[in-house]
Amino acid sequence: MSPLELVVVVLVTSVLAGGAGAILGLGGGILLIPILTLFYGVDLHYAMGASIVSVIATSSGAAAAYLRTSLSNVRIGLFLALATVSGALVGAALAGVAPTRALQLLLGLALAYSTLTTLRQLRIELPEVGEADPVAMRFSLEGSYYDSVLDREVKYRATRVRLGVAAMFGAGLLSGLLGIGSGAFKVLAMDHFMRLPMKVSTATSNFMIGITSAASAGVYFARGDIHPLLAAPVAVGVLAGAAAGTRLMSRLRNTTVRKIFLPLLAWLAISMILRGLGIGLP
Amino acid sequence: MSAPSPVDRMVARVLLWGGLLSISLVLGGLVVYAVAGHPHAREIVRVIHNRETGQAVDVFTSLGDVRRAIVRRPPDPLALTALGLVCLLATPAVGVAAAAGAFWRAGDRLYAGIAAAVLGMLLLSFGLAAGG
Repeated sequence: MSPLELVVVVLVTSVLAGGAGAILGLGGGILLIPILTLFYGVDLHYAMGASIVSVIATSSGAAAAYLRTSLSNVRIGLFLALATVSGALVGAALAGVAPTRALQLLLGLALAYSTLTTLRQLRIELPEVGEADPVAMRFSLEGSYYDSVLDREVKYRATRVRLGVAAMFGAGLLSGLLGIGSGAFKVLAMDHFMRLPMKVSTATSNFMIGITSAASAGVYFARGDIHPLLAAPVAVGVLAGAAAGTRLMSRLRNTTVRKIFLPLLAWLAISMILRGLGIGLP
Repeated sequence: MSAPSPVDRMVARVLLWGGLLSISLVLGGLVVYAVAGHPHAREIVRVIHNRETGQAVDVFTSLGDVRRAIVRRPPDPLALTALGLVCLLATPAVGVAAAAGAFWRAGDRLYAGIAAAVLGMLLLSFGLAAGG
């Protein structure tokens, strides 16, 4: 593959990854690493460096838009970021010494988990509102937004905050370890454990993944994993894709988005697990 | 209909302009790189596909590397791209700093403190990375 061909295919792929990431709150990294390594034969460590760039670009593009519509909750994002950033620091330190095949297997398992999570949420538009949590009351983990699909103001308050914080530390650990935003796990923690509306969960996840990834980005940069010729088209493509994705999300139901991406996530999970186990793909 | 708070507006503005500045630098470097050509282009692509097959070319591992490559004659266009990437990687931290300031101005000392703590951990991570 010539340098120009590499830049063009990575750019186009990144637009799609950025769009998908902005809609699902995934950051795009969980899609980008398998595609770069499986289809374009990119070295896993450079793919992970490019993924960190992708996650931050998605976060900057998507969160800027979601904050203006009150879908991202800065208080909840910063409160939970205390846990995710701690986890990311630990994960990034471990990533440099972990073998490639083990990382692929771990990423495959992370993808499989995301697939199951998405499958369980397939028909849910808004979660049930749980009982008031004293931690949520103390830290004002609540808010409201206007839902254009439901045509009403939706008010919400977090529940089971301690469980959410524990899950967030795990999400941060994965982010640092695998070079992904681990947005799926953040969405899971906010949607399932803390019972926040799905749109708030994905939008706040988009705000948080940038912060979590920034914590480990310095480590990847200093290790030489962020190659400009690979990371540049990723950054440009993902930012453009994220801008389009945020516009598209307001016109889609969450259930529709999940149905579109579920088969893709499942296929990628299987591919990465097989690679991690040393089983070659055609 | 709920309007964004001053904190939301401030953070959104920082993320938007940080992203735009970064992408301008990244694109500028890429365009100059494409126009000027590069003797190591194929070697770079070979190493991107398998890092163990050769010495990495044009990979920057510190701000000092980036600065030296920009000021030398002729300047390395990929250093400009790398500077844009550094700006992009720093954008979330600047956003958190902006949130801390906005919460402080709004009289919310609790969240000004939480934002400052998150920023402190981010700076610690940058410091650890710089220290190798």
